[in-house]
Amino acid sequence: MKPLLIFIASLPICVCMIASNAVGQESSIELYEHKIKPLLKERCFACHGALKQESELRVDTIEAMKDYGILEDNLLLNRLTSKDDTERMPPEGEPLSRQEVFDIQNWIANGAPAPDNEQAEADPMEHWAFQKIERPSLPNLGISNPVDAFLTAVQQTNELKAQAIAERSLLLRRIYLDVTGLPPTPEQLLSDLPIEEIIDSLIDSPQYGERWGRHWMDVWRYSDWYGLDNQLRNSQKHLWHWRDWIIDSLNEDKGYDRMIMEMIAGDEIAPTDLKTVRATGFLARNYYLFNRTTWLDDTIEHTGKSFLGLTLNCAKCHDHKYDPINHEDYYRFRAIFEPHHVRLDAVPGNADYNKDGLPRVYDDKPDAPTFIHRRGDPSLPIKDKTVSPGPPKFLNSFGKPPQKIDLPAEAWAPGIRNYVQADLIAQSKRQLNSARTNLRKLQKKEALAAAATTEVKGTALRDDFKKSRPDIWDTIGRGWRYQGGLLTQTEPTMERSCLRTKAHHPRDFELTLNFQTTGGKQYKSTGIRFDVDEKGENAHFVYVSAFANGPKVQLAHTVAGRNIYPANAKANLPIQLNQDYVLNLKVRDDLINVALDGKFLFAYRLPPRKNGSIELFAFDSTADFYSINVEPLASDATLIETNKQAAVVNPAQAVDLAEAQLKLAEAKHAALVAQIAADNATFKQIGNGTAELAARLSLQAAVAAAEVDFIKADAGKRANAAKQKEKAQLALASDNLPTLAPLRGSQRALDQGSHKASQYSSVYSKTSTGRRTALANWITHRDNPLTARVAVNHIWTRHFGSPLVESVFDFGRRAPKPLHQDLLDYLAVELIESNWSMKHLHRLILKSKTWQRSSSNLGADPNTLTNDPDNQYYWRMNSRRMESQVLRDSLFFISGQLDLTIGGPSVMAGTNVFRRSLYLFHSRDGRDKFVSVFDDADVFSCYRRNESIVPQQALALMNSREAIESANLITSQFDLKLTDIQFIEAAFLRLLARSPTQQETKACLDFLKDNRERNQFIHALLNHNDFQVIR
Amino acid sequence: MTLPNDISRRRYLLQSALGFGSLALGGIAAAEEHKKPNGEPHFQPKAKRVIWLFMRGGVSHMESFDPKPALNKFAGKSINDTPHAHVMDPENFKNLRVVVVDDANGKDRKIIYPLQTGYKKYGQSGVEISDWFPNIGSCADDIAFIRSMWTTDNNHGAQVQFHSGRHMLDPRVPTIGAWLNYGLGSLSENLPQFINIGPRFFDKRDGHYLGPAYDAVNLKVDPQNPLEYATPHGGMNSVQQRKNLSFTNQLNRLAGEQYPGDAALQARIKSYELAFRMQTAVPEVLDFKKESKETRALYGLDHPETKTFGQQLLAARRFSERGVRFIQIMHGDGAAGAWDNHSGLRKGHAKLSKQVDLPTSGLLKDLKQRGLLDDTIVVFATEFGRTPGSQGADGRDHHPFGFSVWMAGGGVKGGVVHGATDELGFHAVENPHYVTDVHATINQLMGIDPRRLEVPGYKRLDSDYGHPIDEIIA
Repeated sequence: MKPLLIFIASLPICVCMIASNAVGQESSIELYEHKIKPLLKERCFACHGALKQESELRVDTIEAMKDYGILEDNLLLNRLTSKDDTERMPPEGEPLSRQEVFDIQNWIANGAPAPDNEQAEADPMEHWAFQKIERPSLPNLGISNPVDAFLTAVQQTNELKAQAIAERSLLLRRIYLDVTGLPPTPEQLLSDLPIEEIIDSLIDSPQYGERWGRHWMDVWRYSDWYGLDNQLRNSQKHLWHWRDWIIDSLNEDKGYDRMIMEMIAGDEIAPTDLKTVRATGFLARNYYLFNRTTWLDDTIEHTGKSFLGLTLNCAKCHDHKYDPINHEDYYRFRAIFEPHHVRLDAVPGNADYNKDGLPRVYDDKPDAPTFIHRRGDPSLPIKDKTVSPGPPKFLNSFGKPPQKIDLPAEAWAPGIRNYVQADLIAQSKRQLNSARTNLRKLQKKEALAAAATTEVKGTALRDDFKKSRPDIWDTIGRGWRYQGGLLTQTEPTMERSCLRTKAHHPRDFELTLNFQTTGGKQYKSTGIRFDVDEKGENAHFVYVSAFANGPKVQLAHTVAGRNIYPANAKANLPIQLNQDYVLNLKVRDDLINVALDGKFLFAYRLPPRKNGSIELFAFDSTADFYSINVEPLASDATLIETNKQAAVVNPAQAVDLAEAQLKLAEAKHAALVAQIAADNATFKQIGNGTAELAARLSLQAAVAAAEVDFIKADAGKRANAAKQKEKAQLALASDNLPTLAPLRGSQRALDQGSHKASQYSSVYSKTSTGRRTALANWITHRDNPLTARVAVNHIWTRHFGSPLVESVFDFGRRAPKPLHQDLLDYLAVELIESNWSMKHLHRLILKSKTWQRSSSNLGADPNTLTNDPDNQYYWRMNSRRMESQVLRDSLFFISGQLDLTIGGPSVMAGTNVFRRSLYLFHSRDGRDKFVSVFDDADVFSCYRRNESIVPQQALALMNSREAIESANLITSQFDLKLTDIQFIEAAFLRLLARSPTQQETKACLDFLKDNRERNQFIHALLNHNDFQVIR
Repeated sequence: MTLPNDISRRRYLLQSALGFGSLALGGIAAAEEHKKPNGEPHFQPKAKRVIWLFMRGGVSHMESFDPKPALNKFAGKSINDTPHAHVMDPENFKNLRVVVVDDANGKDRKIIYPLQTGYKKYGQSGVEISDWFPNIGSCADDIAFIRSMWTTDNNHGAQVQFHSGRHMLDPRVPTIGAWLNYGLGSLSENLPQFINIGPRFFDKRDGHYLGPAYDAVNLKVDPQNPLEYATPHGGMNSVQQRKNLSFTNQLNRLAGEQYPGDAALQARIKSYELAFRMQTAVPEVLDFKKESKETRALYGLDHPETKTFGQQLLAARRFSERGVRFIQIMHGDGAAGAWDNHSGLRKGHAKLSKQVDLPTSGLLKDLKQRGLLDDTIVVFATEFGRTPGSQGADGRDHHPFGFSVWMAGGGVKGGVVHGATDELGFHAVENPHYVTDVHATINQLMGIDPRRLEVPGYKRLDSDYGHPIDEIIA
């Protein structure tokens, strides 16, 4: 930027306006204080204030401006209004508005007055949160609990009177919900153990880790993966390993410093310990397929916000406007993460990465350079300078440079781990066995087919519905009429309504149904079930739906009475009412082809089948049926495979193919064994396996694979397949053995969508840069002024419902010195000096009187109410609405439905899912409907939960299955013999943890008089404010 | 309405006097006292509500509202062999930001594909519109066509971008509907203030840092089951439900005596009343029984191909009459959106335009005859246009460099064509507008100064605000 002294042109318009707009001295001071100074602060202080003094100019006091002389000769105005973009100030953003310029002009014309003793902006380094955390002395009141001591002191100073301790039962409910996320049982409410003992035992219960784990999952942005179909685009599959690490770490009271170390650098500090390495899911969560810079930006932003309360992200394009973090600092921070990448390591007992795997980070390219991006634009790297890694310079007096780490072989060559070898052998053996079984089955089938090619089990069926055929069909449900030479369903219903064959149908069959749907209320679905068992509780079905919001042909299953609709077994089609359709199904073994009007729609592999009946059904529709025809499937009928590549399933070839596949499985197995032997010899100096043998066997496997391909190839591909086969044989015959990479024990995340994991090397860098370890050491260093304060603030917020520092992710200069900084600092030192024990902090807080006070204003001292209506001094407790997860868990827990299993893969939300809510799949695209209504965590960032009150929440508790079924189940827990009064007492205690008042009892009795069904009463109580709220 | 746990009780009570929906969220990093909107416009508005029609997948601008005869003239030629070869200068592509590297779509398509339909002039203004949109053409004198839109994403993340102003690689920020909802709140006591009908785009949320209370409420045009949890699981008659609700709130009021000054409790009582009313009011809005035969025909309810969209637009009119601020209607299902005709463009666009053309004109005419068009802004938009060149034999690819949207009513000039693409329809060359200029125009008409809606801790960029398109404002 050029010095301001360059002067371009004066503004003639200025002059004439001044006279007519001249205002008095006093109002000019006001103008300065209320408009101009805030404007300068917003737009100019960043470069011309305490943070920076571009051109040695400061504009934070009038004195500084006058000293510099910018108020003379229109210097300031000219720079503000210049038409030249390189001259005009401020250099970024919109130019000042005409009104703003006008105000400044007026103010200058009036002599640029300012209040007396105007204070310059403070030195940024003096900001409260940048000072080392020292333990403040405890107020001398004889109170040992620091929370109580500090707050009592300020309450006394401000003449505020605190509320009494909450009623015991309400306090117990608060403790249980706060610590475990589950309400107390009636027995627990009646316990007379001392409160402190109850607090201790709950903090040591495994549910503590789940409840507080969910809090930290908010802060650390837990998100299951999302993508398109099976393509991973963001986060990682199986990220639940990290979630379980969070729960485990909290439950074992791992130090918060150690947790940070493990999350940022677990792979460097314990390279072969998967239990530790899983913590790096924190970083793996930021993986983004399409853009490395976006990925690293997220990593930088949220590492900064969650652990440090620093908005590093504001320095991506330019120097930070408020904090002493410059543009280069951002890229220094990026350089810490530049080498790192993500992979899934195989986990013991599983060799299939789609089923399981450990998402983790590792340094992939230790030498990857980092450049500053001009204006934050990744296409404008400034390549003449490589940025070295490190934390922001202004706080780096105690940081240490990174030390390169040599990794053990098992870390960089995960395929040599014993369990990986064992699992691959086991997998290979399973494949061998299945190939053998398959061949045996087919040989038997071939023999049978040769003996009796026409044998058909099951009964064929042909009906043109001209008249009723009770010999063939049972009719179930109402509204079936034979009229006008056809069968009509006249009454749309969502109940079971169908015609059902008395006999079973052939196992492999072709079915053709000629029909039209004529109406219905909503779904307008008409179709066929097959393999229907006696009770209709297990079946497969295909239906044609004219549903206005999504007409389609869908295949679905009924399993134990529940319907499952696979997303990949449907065709969206503009199905019309009153139009004839011909639905055609071909089924062989587990393969089904569905066609409509002669057009193939989709193929699908059915789950294991059982023999059963055919049912003709109309669901919420009226329909006309013209004919049905069911025949055994012709043995030479060609079915289309599910991959749509028209692979022919031809019984004649099947045996040849199975033989070749068995050979392939054998060859692969031999190659695998040889490779493991070679790896063991190379890496572990065990045995005498050779790379040569492994390579030769791998070529043999390639020949076997080519043979399989050759048999599979249809006429069009045969020539090419033959060529490939020949090539494989030649390779085997030649003496040029390929150099085999060690066995693969992990799957590296893709750099871009067109890549395949198999194209990446199976081994990784033998060293790690140590940059992340250095960062973690710096974050957790005793001299770091931010880490412990930020953590204490998060914990405090979640105990009290209001934070000590309002901006929970920004402790920079925008965050004013908090009202209770002494308390914050004291607790921060407690955290650090207790070896960063979060449980220690919880106990301190929960056992304070402050936390245990009543949350009601009732009977409060009038002065206190007037002087601190917002409860800034914590003279009472705050009420909080339960977080969405706690609400759902409470409903299910009280109604006896909650499954308390701890840990494991995330569970898709669904009707019969009763796991605790933190285990529900939670990503951009997948979330539980009920949970999302009550301010679920935003997966992009959630440093603090919202607490909205919207009518959709009322609808959810009034109408959802979750609420209504819970109400019914809770009702059934109460003894029918209870009198109304006894029932009311018991229900209040169960749901609200308190007794009803006399007025409440009266209101309840009145209600029960009118409504004998007690579930309505329970349902109403579940909607009670005090059920949803932690009092 | 939102009650963050940090909100001051006093401030909260003050604001709750303004009624539902007028409350805004703070609570997140409010380092300084943050003034929340009070539901009043910042200056005299021209419009009260927005009906936002969004065609998912990318409508071909050349075959809708920006006909380009040059495509017929140069059909089959490479762009490089025409006098317009300069459109391919790399300098012209500097705004592009690619999300899906090496995707099959979003590529240069050089071989010019001729127009797949004709076009003619409509109305006194003589605006040229393609033959696929004759009914919208018949309303041309009420519409301002903007033929010079551009965006920066060449993939369908541009749908999110059209609503939020931010590219897929940027952080998620509130959408235009959420901002209006936040700034202005509701005009109705009984209805959600921000509604979405139809298949949503990738990002399922709107409020983001404003909070989930500002997400659109998803509705279906189905009086039996219009919104999530609108009907009691397992069935319950409304008399019983009313009884339960009265009882719950009676108990809540009694509990309130134990917790004097508990603003959240009072708000919850109100939210239950509102929920009950909403449960009745929404199905009523969606019940078209009282609509005349003429009105139904206007929206195309009597034709199977126009019925679905027609019902949605008729519902939109009925919601706007009842005070809903922002009604967002998405057309075209599928992950990318039905308009995404990489192949079979003629067949696809002919079919899709048929679904929307008549109902859209019906909406404009109906609003006009009821006097609603004066203060209702209707927007017809899409995430990007399609390439002048062909993709495969008979398709067009994504095209973010120049495309068309239109606006009508609510203080928008009619019969206006604003901005232009070059002769091939490739780049927006005259008065080019980034997507947020549409937002800025709406804000201007609704009396909102978006700079006064900032939330501390969340910086908005200048590009988020855009600039009102003054030339189309009456």
